[in-house]
Amino acid sequence: MKKVYLFKYGLTILLLICAFSVFAQKSTFAGKVVDETAQPLPGATVRVKGTDKSTTTDLNGKFTLPGSDQSAIVVTITYIGYDTMEKVMTANEPVTIQLIPNQKALSEVVVVGYGTVKKTDLTGSVSNLGSKDLNPGAVTSPLQELEGKAAGVNINQVGSEPGVAPSIRIRGFTSLQGGNDPLVVVDGIQGNMDLLQQVPPSEIASVDILKDASATAIYGSRGAPGVIIITTKKTSAGKTSVEYNENTSLDVISKKLQLLNAASWTQEANALGVDASANHGSNTDWYDLLTQNGVTENHSLSFGGGSNEFNYRASLTAINETGLVIGTGYKNYIGRVTATQKALDDKLTLTMNINSGINEAVYEPNGVGNAAFHSNLISQAYIARPTDPVFDTDGSYYRDPNVFQYTNPYAVAKTVKNDVNSNELFGSLRADLDIYKGLSAGWFGSWRKVDGNTGFYEPSSSTIQYAIDNNGVGNINNWHNDEKLMDINLSYKHDFDKKNHFDATLVYEWQAQTYNGDFAQGRGFVNDLASYNALQLGDISKVLQGDISSYKNDRRLVSFLGRVNYSFDSKYLLTASIRRDGSTVFGVNNKWGNFPSAAFAWRITQEDFMKDQHLFSNLKLRVGYGITGNQQGIGPQNSIALVGQAGTVFFGGQTIPNYAATQNANPNLKWETKKQANAGLDFSMFNDRLNGTVDVYTSNTDNLLFNYTVPLEGPFLTTNILANVGSLQNRGLELTLSYRVIQSKNTTLTLAGNASFMSNKVLSLGGNIEGYNIPTNYVGLSTPNSYLVVGKPIGTFLILKHSGVNAQGVETVVGEDASGNVDQAPQSKYRVDEGQALPKYEFGFTPSFTYKNFDVSMVWSGAGGNKIYNGISQDFSMLENIGKQNLLTSAMATGIHSSPFGSDEWLEDGSYIRFQNLMFGYKVNLTNVKFISALRISLTGQNLAIITKYKGLDPQLNTSDLGAGYDYGVYPRTRTFSVGLNVILK
Amino acid sequence: MKKILLSILIIGLAAQSCTKVNENVYDKYAAAQFYSTPAGADDALANVYAKITGTWGSNYAGRDNCWYDLNSFSADEQVIPHRNTGDWQLDFAQLYTRTELPSLGIINNTWNWAYSCIYSANLAVSELTTAKADPSKIAEAKVMRAWLYYLLIDDFGDVPFYTDNNTDISKIAQEKRATIYSFIVSELKANVDLLSETRGGTYYGRFTKWAGYMVLAKVYLNAQIYTGTPQWAACLDACSKIASGNFTLHPATANTAAPLGNTYYELFGNVCPNDETIFALYITQNVISGNIYTIRSLNSANGTALIGFNGWNGTIIPGDFYDKYDAGDIRRKQFLVGAQAGGVTYTETVSSLIDPGAGPNEGIRDVKFFPVPPADASGESNDFPVYRYADVLLMQAECNVRLGNTTAATPFLNQVRQRAGLGDIAAPTLQNVYDERGFELNMEGHRRQDMIRFGTYLLPHGAAPNIVPAGAAYQQLYPIPTAALNANTTLKQNPGYPN
Repeated sequence: MKKVYLFKYGLTILLLICAFSVFAQKSTFAGKVVDETAQPLPGATVRVKGTDKSTTTDLNGKFTLPGSDQSAIVVTITYIGYDTMEKVMTANEPVTIQLIPNQKALSEVVVVGYGTVKKTDLTGSVSNLGSKDLNPGAVTSPLQELEGKAAGVNINQVGSEPGVAPSIRIRGFTSLQGGNDPLVVVDGIQGNMDLLQQVPPSEIASVDILKDASATAIYGSRGAPGVIIITTKKTSAGKTSVEYNENTSLDVISKKLQLLNAASWTQEANALGVDASANHGSNTDWYDLLTQNGVTENHSLSFGGGSNEFNYRASLTAINETGLVIGTGYKNYIGRVTATQKALDDKLTLTMNINSGINEAVYEPNGVGNAAFHSNLISQAYIARPTDPVFDTDGSYYRDPNVFQYTNPYAVAKTVKNDVNSNELFGSLRADLDIYKGLSAGWFGSWRKVDGNTGFYEPSSSTIQYAIDNNGVGNINNWHNDEKLMDINLSYKHDFDKKNHFDATLVYEWQAQTYNGDFAQGRGFVNDLASYNALQLGDISKVLQGDISSYKNDRRLVSFLGRVNYSFDSKYLLTASIRRDGSTVFGVNNKWGNFPSAAFAWRITQEDFMKDQHLFSNLKLRVGYGITGNQQGIGPQNSIALVGQAGTVFFGGQTIPNYAATQNANPNLKWETKKQANAGLDFSMFNDRLNGTVDVYTSNTDNLLFNYTVPLEGPFLTTNILANVGSLQNRGLELTLSYRVIQSKNTTLTLAGNASFMSNKVLSLGGNIEGYNIPTNYVGLSTPNSYLVVGKPIGTFLILKHSGVNAQGVETVVGEDASGNVDQAPQSKYRVDEGQALPKYEFGFTPSFTYKNFDVSMVWSGAGGNKIYNGISQDFSMLENIGKQNLLTSAMATGIHSSPFGSDEWLEDGSYIRFQNLMFGYKVNLTNVKFISALRISLTGQNLAIITKYKGLDPQLNTSDLGAGYDYGVYPRTRTFSVGLNVILK
Repeated sequence: MKKILLSILIIGLAAQSCTKVNENVYDKYAAAQFYSTPAGADDALANVYAKITGTWGSNYAGRDNCWYDLNSFSADEQVIPHRNTGDWQLDFAQLYTRTELPSLGIINNTWNWAYSCIYSANLAVSELTTAKADPSKIAEAKVMRAWLYYLLIDDFGDVPFYTDNNTDISKIAQEKRATIYSFIVSELKANVDLLSETRGGTYYGRFTKWAGYMVLAKVYLNAQIYTGTPQWAACLDACSKIASGNFTLHPATANTAAPLGNTYYELFGNVCPNDETIFALYITQNVISGNIYTIRSLNSANGTALIGFNGWNGTIIPGDFYDKYDAGDIRRKQFLVGAQAGGVTYTETVSSLIDPGAGPNEGIRDVKFFPVPPADASGESNDFPVYRYADVLLMQAECNVRLGNTTAATPFLNQVRQRAGLGDIAAPTLQNVYDERGFELNMEGHRRQDMIRFGTYLLPHGAAPNIVPAGAAYQQLYPIPTAALNANTTLKQNPGYPN
């Protein structure tokens, strides 16, 4: 028995030992963790559920768990920025676990000025967009990626000229002449809008747009127009990636104006009694000759890698655009490297960033044509009669000497050179040091250099009168910008207890910009072979005063700023900031300004009384107030009385240079002051399926900068002075909503949109300047019939009312006297207020849908409530002009031969809805492909349709300055169809 | 905590040296520094001439849309009709037909031009005085200023008056025409004898003693209009001062090398001849302003054939003005009518001035300033004679006639007629003098003032079908421009005009 038992047990033990040893040697749980692009994720934590056994993945994302006596276990994998995943693993069956990026995590952190903040702790009004939120397709400027995406952020693309970026206005106009471009901050480097052309659109990780004063006051005297902060992509620690992005588009003309063709021009000209000598018998479609289909290519190669202590990312981007107008095009190459190294036991972090860009643009010549119709080249194609030949019998470009300053647009396109090149370079270094228990210090320095040159040549063969008069004119222009920035910051974080959190930041900042350049012009060339490349080949006796010039100026801005954040129990959040700015460009009496702000947020869902409700997962109320400034409108040396070159004068028997006062002194010149209050509500409902934000704001801009007309009396040397006098009011409401209609394993459908409503009013214009009362009102703007009037919105149309056509075919208006004359002064009682040049509302609608590997997204955007003065319609409807130019086919019906007025006959509603973007994407399954870990193909259509009553080419016209709401001919707008490719290599 | 304080201290020290925000000026002259040098004071004087000659929209004459156009198109000697081909704005035709409004750009430009010149003259006076410059230079600036005020009261009547730029605007009053008249007379009397007597050379295009007396003569000539009291004898005195400068009429002899085949037209050529010219604007196309009067008149093809550049098809001479000329008058050569070079035929009759406008080849054209190089399609280099001796002779004739001294008047008038190839008039009447002024001085900016003085300005004029009806008395002054009224609410509009 004993033996039996011994044997029995002994065998069992033996078997068990064997079994154990077999298990210990072969029965493992192993796997690999990868990201959404199937790239390995090193450093992910893998834990066996219900135990404390855990491991982390290696550099290749692989892990192995110690054996257990189970045949299957459940593991949980956690990795920052990804959803935690549970997975059942079977012994000895290696698995690949793909983590899904945490949607919330991507936007968890919001970049605010001089720091970041958790989105939940945000107190100001900030639009935050991740790379996935940006518009796809044929994109050549980062701003195009934002169109229709953020409430209160207007991206306005006028025409599709290569190299011409859209404008951006955040919460509308807050300044008349002081500039409304937001401050641009790219990875800490501050600059103007041109800094954006150094940012590859595909390398943007996130865009944060600071909208309200409590957010922008930290930028002080430059914060008023808003701030756009771009953070470029970094490689995550431990990951290695090689990625290639490509997008190629075909760009076609989306709309043409209907002008008379040769046959109908001949017929109408005969009917209107035009002398037969004006008909040159050809059949030319000038618009067709001058336009073509364009192609836009966008290539980007990026790679990076590293560990916890070191990582880098490098990328090379090439954008190549061929324009719709023949000869125009744009090339942009950007190379960048960013590297981060930790030292001193991870207490010191050094980040370096080097970026170099090359821009080459060929623009369509501007300011061509006769004095009465100076516009861009494409508008000249409207003017040219369809019966005019392109070439004369001798082969030269045709020119009709009987037409005043006749211009042959094809000759202009073929012979005029208008090249703009620039090289941009910036570098920055950031050093952050953890000093002691929550105290840290940082240093940041950046240096940006932009060197550019333009070459312009207008030969006499261009048929342009000025070029003929001079026998060819060529000029070159070189400019050099140097922008330096340095800041030193100190920050301190402290948790007093579990409920009271406090952090503070102090910054000293120093910025200096130097601008210099030169210009030289030559005239009178025996031939055009050397173009603008050898000005000395021109006729030196024709050189005029002003043909040679150079300049240099600089500006510095010195600032001290501080911010305090305090939160109590994660319920009540308080932010207060102050900045003190001193600038060289301010007048001697106003060198320094202070810009304080404060904001408070209440996270209502954190309150006890909200614990039991399930409707709201997040509800936060924000209120803020701040004082910001704007100094864009002030250039170097604007505050001092200057004498400059003023042509030549004949004096003392000879022609000598003349000098005259060019600028009045204004020792009080200073920044514009914008005081803004904002209240907002952020909410998430139905388990985060509905997310939304509502913001309301009101702001007053005081000390408005305006170039006032002053009498030449008293202290004034010239008839203009830049002074801070008027004030302007802006009010608005912004709404952002997104709703996940379907959210299942394979399918998601999200409806998202935003809308903003805004109104502005001129509160005062004239007033005291240098001790003198300068009444200013009814200031005519460059848009015909558009005015600045106290008590009315910017660009109010005060316009004569069309009443018909008289027997002579002359347009009549309300208020004419017996001689057919009407008071056209701005204050005339016959001018009727017929609306404003700026939109009253804007919106974007951005639904998206995914099914398995397939995704679709759309962008619809629109604006409205504004009027457009259709100058093209006016110019091309006057029947009496038919002898010297072409007309719109719609002109005949109007019966207007001539008009001494610009009446409301030409004022049109500018509202529109544009189907801006439609994209189909497909992620190819590549589990068995050796070298490629992810591949995505996309098809995008842009500007597919537009709904508008506007009869001109496109209702999206200038709305970004005081020349808003005027159509005098724009570069055609493209409709594009593009194919995109995204490849990630293993 | 010590570390924090230390860090703040370090940053504070570093910042101390980097908080300067004073402005650097590299590429401009600060006004105060510029004018404090003797060269700067001289430049202040030269700048007044630069302002007077000016360029587009701001000039005495030569370019367009300012003093010359205002004072010429409102008279009967020239007009730019709107063309039924869609060319030409109505401004010029509105002046001719007396339908202009106070907001008309040409009126505003003239006002702004005059005050910007006065400002520059004030600056020159004060800078030259500070620099203790030669008294003749200070006098020159003062005479220019007096001349500018004379032009202003002639056009606008009561105008804002100041002679020191550092005057509080609220203290700059709209002075009575007669008050400013007194200032002009006394300022001229005090200064003209200090001016240079040199004709031409370094004083070409400048106010000499002779130009100074010319201004005084003009002011006296129109004194009755300005003050109600005529000053014919005083005008004669001033004229004899000018005559003492040994001016003579420039000879008019047939010469194929001369413009329009007669040396008379050298008076309106590249440089105005010193024998007759008292004060001229020096013009070189593109370098110093430009002279557009011929290119603006010719039509495109005729311009190309005649001078090599496309004309603008603008200015025409109304038929009634042209018809007064004697066929043998050498001064009629300046007008083009009938078949012309370039296959163009200009008709004397113009069908319409405004609605629907004239046909492309309608209207008589003018080539008084026959283009001299450098020239192009935007102008020529003909100098502009502001004042010349023929005017002095005609003033002497006029004053003598007005004083009842017909015998004394006769030789003055007949000198001018003889040169033009016309016969003598034995006993000239005011009408004879008036007509002769029109023949001799047309297109030179004098017509409106002459018409007002001779009482013809408000009469109907023009050739059928474009007869301009009689004007109202108030129209002998222009309205104060709307923009000026807006900028200075204390200004009072001239009677008869809306604000």
